[in-house]
Order: sequence, then structure tokens, then C-alpha cells
Amino acid sequence: MSAQTQRNMVTEALAQIGQCGLFLLTILKAVPGSFRYVRETVRQLWFVGAMSLTIIMTCGLFVGMVLGLQLYYVLSIFGGTAASGTVVAIAIYRELGPVVTALLFAGRAGTSITAEIGLMRATDQIAAMEMMAVDPIAYVVAPRFLAGLIAMPLLCSVFCALGIFGGHLVGVTWLGIDNGTFWSNMTANVDVWKDVVNGIVYKSVAFGAVVSLIAVFQGYTTPPTSEGVAYATTRTVVASSIAILALDFVLTAFLM
Amino acid sequence: MTQRKSYAVGTGLFIVLGFAALAYLATQTTSVANVSQGPSYDVTTQFANVGQLKERAPVKVAGVRVGQVESISLEPGKEVADVTLSIDRKYGQIPVDSVATIYTSGLLGDQYVGLQYGTAKQYVKDGSRLALSKSTEPLEAMLGKFFGAGAAADDLGGTYAVKARFTNVGALSPGAPVKMAGVAIGSVKSVQADPVKLDALVTLSIDKKYDQIPDDSSAAVFTSGLIGSQYVAIQPGGSPDMLKDGDEMILTQSAMQLEDLIGKFLVNGSPGDKSGGKSSDAK
Repeated sequence: MSAQTQRNMVTEALAQIGQCGLFLLTILKAVPGSFRYVRETVRQLWFVGAMSLTIIMTCGLFVGMVLGLQLYYVLSIFGGTAASGTVVAIAIYRELGPVVTALLFAGRAGTSITAEIGLMRATDQIAAMEMMAVDPIAYVVAPRFLAGLIAMPLLCSVFCALGIFGGHLVGVTWLGIDNGTFWSNMTANVDVWKDVVNGIVYKSVAFGAVVSLIAVFQGYTTPPTSEGVAYATTRTVVASSIAILALDFVLTAFLM
Repeated sequence: MTQRKSYAVGTGLFIVLGFAALAYLATQTTSVANVSQGPSYDVTTQFANVGQLKERAPVKVAGVRVGQVESISLEPGKEVADVTLSIDRKYGQIPVDSVATIYTSGLLGDQYVGLQYGTAKQYVKDGSRLALSKSTEPLEAMLGKFFGAGAAADDLGGTYAVKARFTNVGALSPGAPVKMAGVAIGSVKSVQADPVKLDALVTLSIDKKYDQIPDDSSAAVFTSGLIGSQYVAIQPGGSPDMLKDGDEMILTQSAMQLEDLIGKFLVNGSPGDKSGGKSSDAK
């Protein structure tokens, strides 16, 4: 019995992944059609991107400050506090910036996309659009997907900038690492392609695509009940978090 | 309509902010920031050993940055490294007899080239050469001088795959660099213990470019910096015959162990202990 349940769960998970992949193809096919609704894309960019700035900036600042503190403590054992600028920058560009931004983005923007589309489904707005010969994929789904794809790298850049500022604030302003050493060590060891472009551009674009895809997919395929919407919202966060961390490992292995 | 405009403006601001942050990070916090701006001129100099000096490392006068290291190269067949310094045009009055020295900022810091002005009335020009230079000394060489152990380098022979025997390789691992005059010319291919001779057999693979290494050159296991990784340093000998593929380097100097050195120092150099610092395993 339990073996059967297990097999059912595996089949269920595989079916979800397969459906999600097919849904991505549907969205990509609808993207040219959605250019007619460019205003809608801009509005979504406002909601998922600009409105997420506060949380991203606050978290970036604190992540940078924590890194500054921890590194000062660890590096002072070796007398190497001068390297903290380098380590803050590399840790933020390569891992913390893209990953934490993507996790926050899934929580802040992914859930609201799922809930909004789920409620449209539950209140038959999507069916109504189909009646009026408006493609709901092109009008509702594709703009939100594109907005997430565009917003993620921009949010990640802001996160990284605030993170570096936070590390500088703690390391240099409060703990007294020399300002020139902090920056010159950073500029000597951080590479623009290997660290900045790989992290901020490649990783965060991939994460943005995955989070947005999961959010719109969960919303679009939710059972049209209030319970279904709630469940879909939860699943967006869970599935995005797992996907982000697993994809992060794969991308790191490829981009090293 | 007004409401639409307000979010459009906000979205535009968000996009501009994001790109501005990306541009700032890419140009101000990475090595791009070190690319010297403004006109500069090139001066070449030669070092017997460049140590850990990297390209784009700063060139300083009186501790102030005046330029950067443009390139580091080793001409095949020579045992000194050619270093090109790119100096800001503002600092055009460097006497020709100035001395270029490789310094380290702090114990674990990066290396840079320091210039000490000479007294000549002539100044260096684009493409001219600074004849006077002082190299870095590997920690082992300094310690060795101090303890009088530096002269005991043994011989080793090698070419493309060259073998060398050490009584002690320390923490040397496959893939570690093989350096001559401080410039990497190959890597360690394998480190194996010889079950018969009971020593370590190290295979070095050396770049074919460097086929002018005399067959009486010596190999030594050095450490880069105090806590750095270990590498094999080749000191060229004077023999007219060059190392070939499959040769064995006869003169080798094993890894020095800090414990042995300190122990020697404490017991006033008692010759009885089995020093890891010397190995006379000439066949």
C-alpha cells in the first residue's frame, strides 16, 4: 500500500515537471502575441520589480553587514582582515546575491503572481477571456513571466550593491579596516566576467525564469477553489526554493 | 491615465536603478577599476625571480601608485623574467638608474613593484629598460641562508616529462606549478613513493617552449609565502647539454620543514638529526 502511494507520488511529481515544461513552451509561443500588451508587462514589472525594491535593499544591506562581521571575526584569527573586502564581494556576487534575491523574489512576487492568477481562474475571469477571444496566456501569463525575467537581474544588482555597502559599513566604518586596503584588495581579486557577470547576469536570469515559470504555472493550473489557491501559493514557495538551490549547484558547476 | 503614468515612471526608475547598480559593481569593485586610465608609457625590467607578482599589480613610488605591471614573461632559454611596467605619463621624471624591487604588502598581502629613484639626470623614456632590479626571495632561500642550508641543492634532470627524486616532498601535490625564475613553466604530473629506494619520485611535465634547461639544473620544493601552496622551483645549471624527455634530474632539494629548521636552531645545529632539508640522493 505504502509502496503504491510512493509510486503515485513519484508519478505525480514527474507529471508536474512535465506539465511545467510544456507550459513553458506554451508561454514562449505566446510571447510574440503578448507584445501587443506591452503596457501590461510594464505594469507587472512595476508590481514584481519596483515594489520588491524595499525588501531586497533591506535584506541586501543586512546580508552584507553580517558577512562583514563574521569575516572580520574569522579573518582576525589569521591576521587577514584586509581580505574581507574580497571575500564579501566574491561571496555576494557568486552566491548570496543571486540566491537570496531569488528566494526573496519567490516569497514576495512569486506568491502574489500565483494568488492573482489562481483567483482569476477561480472566479472564471480566465474562462471569460477565452470567451472574448483574448488569449489568457498572452494577456495574463506571458507579461508576468517576462516581468519576472527582467526584474530578477535588476533586483540582484541592487541587492549586491547594498550588500557591498553593508560589508563596507561594518568592516571599514565600524571595525576599522583600512578603506584603501578594503577596496584595493577587492578590485585586485574580483573578476568582472567570472564573478559579476556569471553571478548577477547568468545566475539571476536563470533564477528569474524558474521562479516566474513556477509561479505562473501554479497559478494557472490551480484547482478553482479557495483551498486550491492557498495550496498553489504554498507550492510556489516550496517548489521555487528547491529549484533555486538545486539549479544553483548545477549552474555553479558549469560556470566555475 | 495619470495613474498609468505614475507606475510607468516608477518602473523606468527601477530599471535605471538596476542597471546603474550593475554598472557600478562591474566597473568600481572589479579588476576593471585597476585598468589605468590616461596616457602611460612602458618600461621594461628583468627580475631573477618574480615570486607571486601578477599582471596588473601596482607599481609604486614612495608607496603611491604610479602605474601597473603590464606583462610578465619568460623568454625560452633565459633564466630571468621580463617584466613590462606601464607607468602613468604624469610621472615622466624617473631617473634611468632607479631600482625596481618586488615588495609584499604585509605578510599575506599581494606583491607590487616599488621604484626607488636614482640620482641620474636622465629620465626613462617609453620602451627603455631599468637595468637595476631586486627580486623577491622565496622564504626557503631566506631561511636557508640563515641556517646555512641553502647551498646543498641537489641535482635533478628533466625535460617534458622529467623525473626527480626527493627524500621529502612536504605537501607537494600533482598539479602544483613548476617554476623557473618565479614564472610557471610546467606542472607536477605525479608524486609517487618508490617502494625500493624509499623516496618520493616526482614527475614534472615542462612546457616544450623551455627546452633549453641545462641537465645539471636543480629542482627544489618551495612554499609560496608563509601559508601558501608548495611548488617545484628549477634553478638552471651550467651544463651545455639540455634536459630531454624522460631524463632524471639528479640535483634536488627536498621540502624544508619548519620543525626541522627550528629544531636545528634550538639544538645549535647538531648534525645527528635526519634533516629533511637536505638530500644527497645522487645515484
